[in-house]
Amino acid sequence: MAAALIACRGVGYRYPATDRLALRDLDFSVEPGEFVALAGASGSGKSTLCRLLNGLIPHLHGGEVGGALTVAAADPRATPPHRMSRAVGLLLQRPDAQCLATTVARDIAFGPACQGQDRATIARRVREVVEWLDIGHLLERAPHTLSGGEQQRVALAGVLALQPRLLVLDEPFAFLDAASASQLRELLRRLHATGVTLLVAEHRLSEIAADADRLLVLHRGRLVADGPPTEVLAGDVAGWGLEPPQPLPAPPPLSTEATEPVVEWDGVWCERDGRSVLRGASLRSAAGEIVALLGANGAGKSTLLRHGNGLLRCQRGVVRIVGRPVGRRPVAELARDVGLVMQQPARMLFAPTVRAELAAGPRALRRYDPDWCARLSERFGLDPLLDRSPQLLSAGEQRRVAIAAVLAGRPRALLLDEPTAGQDARARATLRALLRDCAADGLAITLATHDLGWAYSLCQRWAVLAEGRIAADADPAAVLAQPEVLGRARLSTLAVAA
Amino acid sequence: MAASGQESPGPLPEPTGHFDPRAKLVVYLLGFGLILLATRPLELLPLLAVLVLGISLWGHWREWWRIMRLLWATLLLFAVVVGLGDGPEAAVGAVLRLLALITASVLFFATTPPEELGESLLTSGLSPRAVFLLEGTLRFAPTMALLVREVREAQESRGIRLDGFYLLRNGSALLAPLLADVMRFADDLAEALETRGFGGPYRTPLAEYRFRARDWALVLGMLAATATATLLILSLE
Repeated sequence: MAAALIACRGVGYRYPATDRLALRDLDFSVEPGEFVALAGASGSGKSTLCRLLNGLIPHLHGGEVGGALTVAAADPRATPPHRMSRAVGLLLQRPDAQCLATTVARDIAFGPACQGQDRATIARRVREVVEWLDIGHLLERAPHTLSGGEQQRVALAGVLALQPRLLVLDEPFAFLDAASASQLRELLRRLHATGVTLLVAEHRLSEIAADADRLLVLHRGRLVADGPPTEVLAGDVAGWGLEPPQPLPAPPPLSTEATEPVVEWDGVWCERDGRSVLRGASLRSAAGEIVALLGANGAGKSTLLRHGNGLLRCQRGVVRIVGRPVGRRPVAELARDVGLVMQQPARMLFAPTVRAELAAGPRALRRYDPDWCARLSERFGLDPLLDRSPQLLSAGEQRRVAIAAVLAGRPRALLLDEPTAGQDARARATLRALLRDCAADGLAITLATHDLGWAYSLCQRWAVLAEGRIAADADPAAVLAQPEVLGRARLSTLAVAA
Repeated sequence: MAASGQESPGPLPEPTGHFDPRAKLVVYLLGFGLILLATRPLELLPLLAVLVLGISLWGHWREWWRIMRLLWATLLLFAVVVGLGDGPEAAVGAVLRLLALITASVLFFATTPPEELGESLLTSGLSPRAVFLLEGTLRFAPTMALLVREVREAQESRGIRLDGFYLLRNGSALLAPLLADVMRFADDLAEALETRGFGGPYRTPLAEYRFRARDWALVLGMLAATATATLLILSLE
């Protein structure tokens, strides 16, 4: 039998200037050709372990690594990452920072060029991965002009061009729509079939549980489970912050009777970069309703949301807020009625403390109410965090602060862009409960998401955006009964039907 | 490390220009030095005329105009400040000099893709790190611009205005998240670079760059022109 590709014996790791161990007493091995899924709540140590395997830890991040670790017959502690990269490929979470060159072709060639391969070898490797990933049409494009899904495929191509024996992927499904996720799943299967060893860290277990040979679960830095995914997930995994792929609860009944819309998109057209993104999209969001806006990457979900609070203006059609057309009113004025929480909540947070963050928006709108802010803080579980810097919180905490900070201005409608991207099961469950409470108070909520399972358990209405229009707008069960519409919108019912 | 140079480059890029990027760099640097040496309008006008001719010949008016639209106010302010201190002739000279420097830079960067310049310098033995500084600036400038726009939009969506006067008052709402995100981005970028094998002593240029006879002719011609112009400028003083 071949020697283990990864051999971990009593491995522990502590980040610099902290007392707490991020990883402790890890004992496991991975054989060549295995497909291993790595699960765990946010902060459990998944990303830390991924970085340890190719030497980013400790070479780039510092800290103390203990125990015996061998990866591809090398000790990552004694081997610099650029040499580890010959055997260990790592795809990181943020695709825009991983596309390093000015064109896709140059980007894919970057790794082999840094390894000192000759031009003929570089050209052959680029050709191979381009064919594999079917991205020949992107070769001359600049990476910053690609969609998130395309950027991720290009980043993966760049890693595969290094021909690694072990491929480590850190939450590769976080920002993908159903069709792109399905393509990635198929690609991982094909890679596995060629003998590449795979280790995939992921929150969305429904994406990989069926394909993986083994599931490792990390909890507070310890390995708490290691076995076939079906066996591991059959146990009580909720205590580790996991949500097994399982049938979801039925959607809640409509909580409101027909009411006047708070935000109304009426025949909105939008052309950007020479492409028609919206072609007469119409949607209504009423008080107490939670509407999921669904569609593929690049379908125009974020564009439609940004029309809802005036960040983008209609080229044709009209957006009305509480019955009044948006017109030329400034965004900051419209914020009194409509709040928007963006995909990256950290970009909204600037104050030195969470307390100050909650007060900043309403003060700018001249409607600061300390009692309301205190109620929001309590409802969103922010009381213990009030004196901490928002920038130092976890992704889930930052998301809660950002939503609370927007709601502090007492808008009537809330628009959320991909609220669960990169969030673990616990954070998603917390967010679901909070949004239900807010809707029960009369808030009109519209959220763009790829997370169909989560949307199914939360939203009374699903609006499907395809080809620039709302192709379906009904309760989730009715939308799921329209396979033609789902197909046009590149939506997969896998997460809902699991 | 040797490049075969014989096989089809396939998907790899090929040099686009007639001259080697390094030859163009030498010409640009010599021209830049000459402009800095000239101070009077009489000296600067012919230099500017040559550059404008270059912009016309290579059809880069659009790029030139885009830069000038951003900088005209600065040029005007510069003229006023110099004019108040040293008189109108000095003001005209200073503006012409700045205009010539900007025009020379537009002409150089419009005709020399920075990634090709970087790779040709890699061929000459410049370190991969120094070359990535040049390429990275170009690659990530649009990403940073996008980031600024997203932070601005995020704050305005909360009612925090950042236009006009409000930018002074609420500037921290733009700067703090921007700084934090840029730092996170830098961390992610450093990780991505290491993961892709950057950090070693080598990097193969993706195309073959050779200094040919025409490149030598261009450089020697520019050297002769610079020497002549320098003598003329010095003789006028």
